[in-house]
Amino acid sequence: MPQVKIVARNFMDMVASLPAVKLDILYDNSFICEAILRSLPPLAKKYVLQLLYIDIPISAKSMEEWVLPDGFSKHKVSIDRLIQLRVMSETFDRKKESTYQLNPKFQFNLQKHIVHGGVLPREPMPSNITVRLPSLEELEAYAIEQWEYFLLHLISSSEAGKTTNISSSMMKIFQRGLLSQRDDREPPRLTESGFQFLLMDKNAQLWYIIREYITNAEERGVDSADLIAFLLELSFHVTGKAYNTNTLTDLQRNILRDLSDLGLVKLQQGRKESWFIPTKLATNLSISLADTTSRKQGFIVIETNFRLYAYSTSKLHCEILRLFARVEYQLPNLIVGAINKESLYKAFQNGITSEQIISFLQQNAHPRVAERIPSVPENVTDQIRLWESDLNRVEMTPAHLYDEFPSKDVFEAACDFAREYGGLLWEDSKRMHLIVKADILTEMKEFLRRQKQ
Amino acid sequence: MTPVSSKLYADDVSLLMVLIDTNPYFWSSTKNTAFTFSKFLSHVLAFLNSILLLNQMNQVVVIATGYNSCNYVFDSSTSSMQRAECLLEKLEDFVDKDDSLSQENSVDGVGFSLLSGSLSMALCYIQRVFRSGPLHPQPRILCLHGSPDGPRQYVAVMNSIFSAQRSMVPIDSCIIGSQHSAFLQQASYITGGVYLKPQVSDGLFQYLSTVFATDLHSRGFLQLPRPVGVDFRASCFCHKNTIDMGYICSVCLSIFCKHHKKCSTCGSDFGEARKQEPSASDQRRKTPDLNR
Repeated sequence: MPQVKIVARNFMDMVASLPAVKLDILYDNSFICEAILRSLPPLAKKYVLQLLYIDIPISAKSMEEWVLPDGFSKHKVSIDRLIQLRVMSETFDRKKESTYQLNPKFQFNLQKHIVHGGVLPREPMPSNITVRLPSLEELEAYAIEQWEYFLLHLISSSEAGKTTNISSSMMKIFQRGLLSQRDDREPPRLTESGFQFLLMDKNAQLWYIIREYITNAEERGVDSADLIAFLLELSFHVTGKAYNTNTLTDLQRNILRDLSDLGLVKLQQGRKESWFIPTKLATNLSISLADTTSRKQGFIVIETNFRLYAYSTSKLHCEILRLFARVEYQLPNLIVGAINKESLYKAFQNGITSEQIISFLQQNAHPRVAERIPSVPENVTDQIRLWESDLNRVEMTPAHLYDEFPSKDVFEAACDFAREYGGLLWEDSKRMHLIVKADILTEMKEFLRRQKQ
Repeated sequence: MTPVSSKLYADDVSLLMVLIDTNPYFWSSTKNTAFTFSKFLSHVLAFLNSILLLNQMNQVVVIATGYNSCNYVFDSSTSSMQRAECLLEKLEDFVDKDDSLSQENSVDGVGFSLLSGSLSMALCYIQRVFRSGPLHPQPRILCLHGSPDGPRQYVAVMNSIFSAQRSMVPIDSCIIGSQHSAFLQQASYITGGVYLKPQVSDGLFQYLSTVFATDLHSRGFLQLPRPVGVDFRASCFCHKNTIDMGYICSVCLSIFCKHHKKCSTCGSDFGEARKQEPSASDQRRKTPDLNR
């Protein structure tokens, strides 16, 4: 079974993969320098700070003297990361020894930040122009609602009800990989990775979408470096403050419209001016990009009798629960269901693993049960795992059977050989039968031919 | 600011309590050298800004240690702008107030700053953070100290050191004066912090960023200055003199420079000294290592 895993890893990996010219342009922006610095591993951050006011190249040897023997692997990782992100450049002096120096632009920007202080990307608008700004709670509710609408839209366009501004072509891009459609008459079905996507936590989902959005930027005629710069800049705005859209370029205004559909910003229109208000999703962007875990309030209670109560009004939650549980009835603020063998088999067939289900249940445990250890009853988690392993009772491995060995010695030698290559599946020394994985067929052939000679 | 509980702290998130010495008598003594208070502040501000730059969750609290008083002058979690420059205004108020307190009694010499007070304030703040919930940044204390040790504060400083040791808070010390500080040597030694007296005070920022910016997580892998020698001498409780040898109460371990009939701390009777005239070396007992 092919293991499809959505890699929702690091935003900075993506930055690092940009071509050198683009990276250097990015470092003109001091916010990006700041965001990049914060994303580095602790030791690398320390090195940058240490080198900040050193203008001459530092030899690799003297840097190695900074670390204790135990920390050498971390040192290597940090140095590699710094070079990969072009924060530090490696040069070789006359004696062929490598020396390191900070990227001058990066260095200059950070020095400026430390001494003169960073400025806000743009000034918030005075409150007399913006009539009434939403409170932080309202804004968060708005962000979550927007995001869930988007997800519902993503899974099934028909059920969402409300239309979004995201063009259908954009939607197609997001849906690529998550949905598959065999023919036009049939509604699209979620793929394995689509199911996995739904069970990820919100930050990981957001990151996945943003990543898709960035990688497809070129197709839409948007420079990915510009887009990354704008997204990072956005994360340095203050949540809940209004910012005038006049200060943006046309391109950024277009991006903003897409982002408002994702719930990253709220757009508001005054009498003359219009402004955008970043939500928590936007300001957490640079944090969640570095670290995809976060805490949130859960809503699910599972009892030892496999009954499931989800205190949620969200349609999306209901859809997600339906993936692996039988929803029995729905009250205004409560979804009641049960986990049983049939519902789980359906989930397993769709490519969801038991671990994903369990971690989803644990992550979303209702605060009342979250305090308990374990938050999901043990008999339920065990049973979910058992039902999964039930499906995998037989494992198939392509293999070859060898018999009629000329002597015991040849047989033993062949066994040892196969064992060495990790391909021995079964041996019967009495009847001199041997079963070996098909992977090492050529090596085995070669070996047996040599034995004959 | 987002509430603390919603954050998940990485290894290197730190809460740095910085105690800066604002003793006017000390800073007036450095006037002749190139290293003035304003220069010192510019180094420290750059350092504080760089700590805040390293991680969005890092927190910096600055406590000014004056001659008569001490006070919080900056807290990055409450100030709206995450910039260390905000402390300047409060610092000025503090120095004025501190100055007005000291006009009544004249001071001869450099005088001592109230290290024990600011250490206790830092520890109180850290305790509050500890009790705020299961998730909190890793705290450490950095003393930027120049004034000589005040022997009168011995007991209070030692108590602060032990309470820092109990709550596993390292005390780093950076000596900006000309003399070593026995108090801070002991503080850093006992709590596992770093003690450093920079040779070139003009390069203070480099010392601060190289040594004292190291978060507790990275300290496991980096070479940091090791203590060369620690002055373990104690002050007596009766006259507050620093002594090499003295008497200690066998009940409460109070230290005295002379023989007393009764312990002034716990009140236990020492009784009569032994009748036979003891030799001088018998009479005096060495003070114990306070590093238990």
